[in-house]
Amino acid sequence: MLVFLAQRLFAALITIWIATIAVTLLIHLVPGDPVRIMFGGFQTTEAELEAIRTRLGLDQPIWRQYLMFLGRLAEGDLGRSIVGNQPVLDILLERLPATLALTLASLAVAIVVGMGLGFLAAVKRGTWIDSTAMILAIVGVSMPHFWLGLLLLFLFSVTLGWLPVAGGDWRSLILPALTLGLATAAVLARMTRSAMIDVLDQDFVRTARAKGLPGTLVLSRHVLRSGLVPISAMLGMQFAYLMGGAIVVENVFAWNGLGRLAIQAVLARDYPLIQGFILFFATIVALASVVIDLLYAVLDPRIRYAK
Amino acid sequence: MTEILLDVRDLTVAFGTSRAVEGLSYQLARGETLAVVGESGSGKSVSSLALLGLLPPRAAQVLSGQAMFGGTDLLSLNDAELRRIRGRRISMIFQEPMTSLTPVLRLGQQLTEGLIVQEGLSARVAHSRACEMLERVGLDAPERRMRQYPHQLSGGQRQRVMIAMAMLVQPEILIADEATTALDVTVQGQILDLIRDLQAEFGMSVLMITHDMGVVAEMGDRVLVMHRGQKVEDGHVSDVLARPRAPYTQGLLEAVPRLGAGAALRSAPRDTAERRVILRADGLRKSFARRNWLGKTQAETHALDDVSFDLCAGETLALVGESGSGKSTTGRAVLGLMPLDAGRVMIEGRDLRDFSGSALRQARRHMQMIFQDPFASLNPRLSAARLVGEPLVIHGLARGQELTDRVADLFRRVGLDHGHMTRYPHEFSGGQRQRLSIARALATGPRFIVADEPTSALDVSIQAQILDLMRGLQQDLGLAYLFISHDLAVVERLAHRVAVMRAGRIVELGPTDQVLHAARHPYTQQLIAAVPVPDPALRRNRSALAYDGEMPMGPLTHVAPDHLVAQ
Amino acid sequence: MITGTQDLARDLANAGVVRQRGFWRGLLASPSGVIGLALVGVLIITAALAPLIAPYNPLQMAAGPRLAPPSLAHPMGTDQFGRDVLSRVVHGARLTLLVGTVAVSLSLVAGLALGLLAGYAGGWLERIFMRLVDVLFSFTEIVIALACLAILGVGLTNAMIAIGIAAIPFYARITHSVVLVEKSKPYFEAGIAAGAGHMRLIFLHLLPNVVPTLIVVATLGISTAVLAAAGLSFLGLGAQPPQPEWGFMLASSRDLISRAPWMMIFPGLAIALTVLGFNLLGDGIREAMDPRQRRRQ
Repeated sequence: MLVFLAQRLFAALITIWIATIAVTLLIHLVPGDPVRIMFGGFQTTEAELEAIRTRLGLDQPIWRQYLMFLGRLAEGDLGRSIVGNQPVLDILLERLPATLALTLASLAVAIVVGMGLGFLAAVKRGTWIDSTAMILAIVGVSMPHFWLGLLLLFLFSVTLGWLPVAGGDWRSLILPALTLGLATAAVLARMTRSAMIDVLDQDFVRTARAKGLPGTLVLSRHVLRSGLVPISAMLGMQFAYLMGGAIVVENVFAWNGLGRLAIQAVLARDYPLIQGFILFFATIVALASVVIDLLYAVLDPRIRYAK
Repeated sequence: MTEILLDVRDLTVAFGTSRAVEGLSYQLARGETLAVVGESGSGKSVSSLALLGLLPPRAAQVLSGQAMFGGTDLLSLNDAELRRIRGRRISMIFQEPMTSLTPVLRLGQQLTEGLIVQEGLSARVAHSRACEMLERVGLDAPERRMRQYPHQLSGGQRQRVMIAMAMLVQPEILIADEATTALDVTVQGQILDLIRDLQAEFGMSVLMITHDMGVVAEMGDRVLVMHRGQKVEDGHVSDVLARPRAPYTQGLLEAVPRLGAGAALRSAPRDTAERRVILRADGLRKSFARRNWLGKTQAETHALDDVSFDLCAGETLALVGESGSGKSTTGRAVLGLMPLDAGRVMIEGRDLRDFSGSALRQARRHMQMIFQDPFASLNPRLSAARLVGEPLVIHGLARGQELTDRVADLFRRVGLDHGHMTRYPHEFSGGQRQRLSIARALATGPRFIVADEPTSALDVSIQAQILDLMRGLQQDLGLAYLFISHDLAVVERLAHRVAVMRAGRIVELGPTDQVLHAARHPYTQQLIAAVPVPDPALRRNRSALAYDGEMPMGPLTHVAPDHLVAQ
Repeated sequence: MITGTQDLARDLANAGVVRQRGFWRGLLASPSGVIGLALVGVLIITAALAPLIAPYNPLQMAAGPRLAPPSLAHPMGTDQFGRDVLSRVVHGARLTLLVGTVAVSLSLVAGLALGLLAGYAGGWLERIFMRLVDVLFSFTEIVIALACLAILGVGLTNAMIAIGIAAIPFYARITHSVVLVEKSKPYFEAGIAAGAGHMRLIFLHLLPNVVPTLIVVATLGISTAVLAAAGLSFLGLGAQPPQPEWGFMLASSRDLISRAPWMMIFPGLAIALTVLGFNLLGDGIREAMDPRQRRRQ
C-alpha cells in the first residue's frame, strides 16, 4: 500500500517535471522571434526588445534557461505577465478558486447523475430504462460543451429568466456546473454501465445468488463494491477531462476562472502566463490523480494487500 | 427402496430460439451421487442452473417441466420462495474457483453472510461455524483465512472455501458444476476426495456435473449422459461404463485416452548405440522477477532451476508437468526465444549463445516449433502457401517455381489438399491448421521440433490423427521431438523418454515405460495416480495422492542405467 | 473522448477483424450502427454537394434581412450580416470534414509509427516512451492543443495541426496496446521461430494486423477532432471571420442569443449530429465486434 502510494506520488512528480521541461521548450518552438511577437504591437525599440530578452533570459543557452526557470520556480516565481505586468503566480492563484468551485460542483453532478444512471441501466439491462438511459448518454457524449451551455443559457436565463446570464455569485455557478457536469455524466454513465455489466456477468454474482441472498443485498454488497473498483480507476482521467472541459465552459459563461485566463493568454500571446497556466494545470491534474488513486487503493484489497 | 429427493420431469430450457435442454427427466435419491456427463454445450450445466433459478435472466427461459423437491415444484417458485431453498437446502459449487468469490470482500463475510441472512444466526455463531467448516475442508489457520481476501489464496484453496461455503448450511443436495475442471490433476484428486468424505459424513446427495469420464467413474453411483440437450442414456456407473448402449456414449468412452494403451503405438525406440545428441540443455536457469518501481527485485519465481537433458536424433523426449512447472518455458528456452539467466543450450555441439543475431536466425532452420493453438500461431493475413513457404523465403532456400513445388510437396506430406494453398487460416478446420503448422515447421528440414501441447486444443479423434502424422514424419525424416504435454496418455503414445517437471526442475527422467509404469519419484506417482480412469473398478490409488511428505527436489541420481530421479 | 476506445481497440485486435462479412452484417443489424452510418453518410454527401445544396453563397452579406428568423426563404434564418445560416451550415460541413480527417490522419500516422516502434522494441525504450505518453495524456488534449496554438498562432489550419498533435499520445497508446495484443499472439513468436528478421516481423507480421484496428479507431476519432476543432473556433482560436465554421458561428451567436437563437441552434445541432453519427457508428462497431457478446451465445 505504501509502495503503491509512493509509486503514485513519484509518477505525479514525473508529470510535473515533464511539464516544466515542456513549458521551457514551448517558447523556443515559436517560429520567429517570440519577443517580437509578444511586444511587436507595442511601440518598442530594438534596445528595449534586447532588454526584455535579457530579462526573460532568452539570450542564455537553453539548459541555462531551464535551470534559471527551476530556480525561480523553487522561490514561487513564475515570472510576470506581459499584458498586466503582474506576477503570474498571483494571477493564477486569484483565478484558482473559481475554477475549483466549478470543477468540484461539476464532478458532484457527474458522479450523482452519471453513476446513478449507469448503475440503473446495468441493473435493468435490456429494459426500456436501460435504452432510455443509454440514448440520453450517447446524446450527452455527442453534445459539445459549448452548445449545451448555450442551450441551457437560452432556456434558463433568456426564456425562463430564472438564472443570471453572467455574474459572480453562487447562482451563476449553477449553469456552468450543470453544463460541465452533465457532459461528464454522460461519459461516466456509459463507463459505469459497462463496468457494472461486467461485474453482473461475473461468476461471483452467481455464487452470491446461489447462497440465497436477496437481490438487493447481492447488488449493494457484491456488485456495487466490485464495480466501484474499475470505475474509480477511470475517474482520474475523467477529472483531467473535466478540467479541460472547464476551459471551454468558463468561456461560454464568462466565468472568471483559469480557463478564461488561458484563452486570453493564448490570444494575447502572453507566454509567461501560458507557461504558468500549463504548469499549474498539470500540477492540479497530477495531484488529483494521486488522490483518486488512493481511493482506488482503498476500494481494491488486491492493491491494499499487495506485498 | 431409497427415498427420491429430487424428481425432474420433462425439463426444457431455451436460449432464444435454440433449446439448450429438451425433455430431460431424472431422479436423485437421498445420499446418492448422480453424475451428469456431456461435452460442452450438451446442456448439463444449464439443466441444473435452471432448477435453482440461476440462469441468466432474459437470455434463458424454462419452457416446460417439473422439478419436485420435498413436495414442491422448484420450477413453479418465484425468486423469493426459491431463495429459501437455494443456498440452504440445495448448495452449489462452480467451475472457476478464481472468479467465483467476490474479490473485494473478505472470505469471512462471504462465508457467514448466507448463515446470517438465511438462518438468522448471529455474526459470532456464524463466524465460529465458518471457522469449523474451513478446518473441516482442510484449510489451516481458519481465523486468519476469515480475514483474508480471495486473491490471497491459491485455486485449490479457493475451491475449498467454496465447498465450505456450500456445506455450511448442511444442504440436502450439493450440485458440483465442473467443480474440479479448472484445477491441476493432483489438486483435482484431493478435491474429489474431500467431496466424497463430506458426503459420507453429512449424507447429502451430490449432483456431479462433469465432462470427464474419469470423474464419473470415480465419483458416481449413477450416471446420466447428455448430448445436445437430451438424455442419451442413464444407469449405474458400472453398467454404463462397461456396457454403454448408446453409440454416443460408446464413442465418448473410446475417445478417452487411457494410460497403458499407448505403448504399442509408439515407433520403435532408437538403438542406444547410434544415439547422436543433437540438443543438449545444460543447467538451464530462469527466474521471473517482479520488480518494484525502483527496479529492485521484490519476488522471484524460479521458472527453470537447473534443467538438463539431451535430445537425440530421431527420438521423442516428452516434458510433462502441471501448469507452471516450467515445461513450456524450457521449450522456448531451447529455441532461444527467451534469454536464460544461466546454463547453456547446445545445438549439435554449438552453444546457442555463440550465435549472433543474424546467425541465430539462420540457425533457426534446424530447429522449429509447433504451437498449441494452431489458429493463433498462423498469421491470419497470409495465405496457407505463403505461411508454409515463409521459412523457405526467410532462409533463402527456394524461390519462384521451386518454392511453389516445395510448398506443394509439403502440403502433400502433411496430408493437405493442393487446392487449399490459396486459402487463409480461418478457412481451415482445427486439425487442418495443425497440419499447416507442421508443414511450416518441416519446410526448412529441421533436425528437431519443439511441439508445445500440439494436440491439446484439438478434439480427441483429430488428436490421434495428428499424433499419427507426427510419428510417421519422425520415421521418414529422422526428426527429433521435444514434446511438451500435460496429458500422460498422449505422451505414452509418442514419447520414447519422459522428463517429469515440477516447480521448474526435472524430478524424474527415463524411458517412457519405466517412468509411467514404475515411477520412482513421489510426484510422478501422484501425477499418474491423479489421472482419472473411466473404470469404476480401477479407482485411483489414494495413498499416492495423499503423499504429503517433503517432495525430494535435489539433484538427479541414476536408479537404473537410463533412469534418473531427484533425491 | 470516446469512452473505452482502448478496450474497443483491444477487442478488435483480439478478434482479429478477420471475419469481415460477419462484421458488416453485425454492424447493419445494430440500430446504432445503421443510424450512425446514415448520419455520417449525410454529412459526407452534404460536404460533397455543398454548392448544389446551399441556396446562397455562404459569404454573401445581405442575402436577406439581418437577423431574420427562420422562414421559407431562409429555413435557418439569417445572421447579423444578413447571411443565410443554412448555406453557412451546409458549407461548414466541408470545413468540418476536412479538419476532422486531416487532424486524425496526422495523429494516426505519427501515433502509429511511435506506438509500433515502442511496442515492437520493448524494454527500456518502451517504458520511457509509455511513461511519456501517459504524462502527455494527463495534460489532456485541449491543453496540448492550446500550447501548440500558443506556438503556432491562431487560425483554422493551425488549429487543425494542433488537434492532430494533441491526439498523437492517444493514437500512440492505442497502437501500443494493439501491438502488445498482436505480439502476444503465437503467430508472432512463430515468425521469430521461423527465423524472420526485424523488418519482416514489423512490416509483414505486425503492421498488416495492426492497421485495420487502427483505421476503425481513427474513423471513430474523427468525432473527437470535429468536437475539438469546433471548440477551438468557438474560443476564437480556430476559424476566423468570415469562414462558415460551426464552432465559430456559435461563438458569434452568443451575444445575440436572446435576439436570434436560431443562430445558436442550427450550427450547434450540426456539430452534435455529426459527433453523434460517429459515436453511434462506434457503438455499432462495438456491438458487432464485442467478443463478450459472442462468447455468450
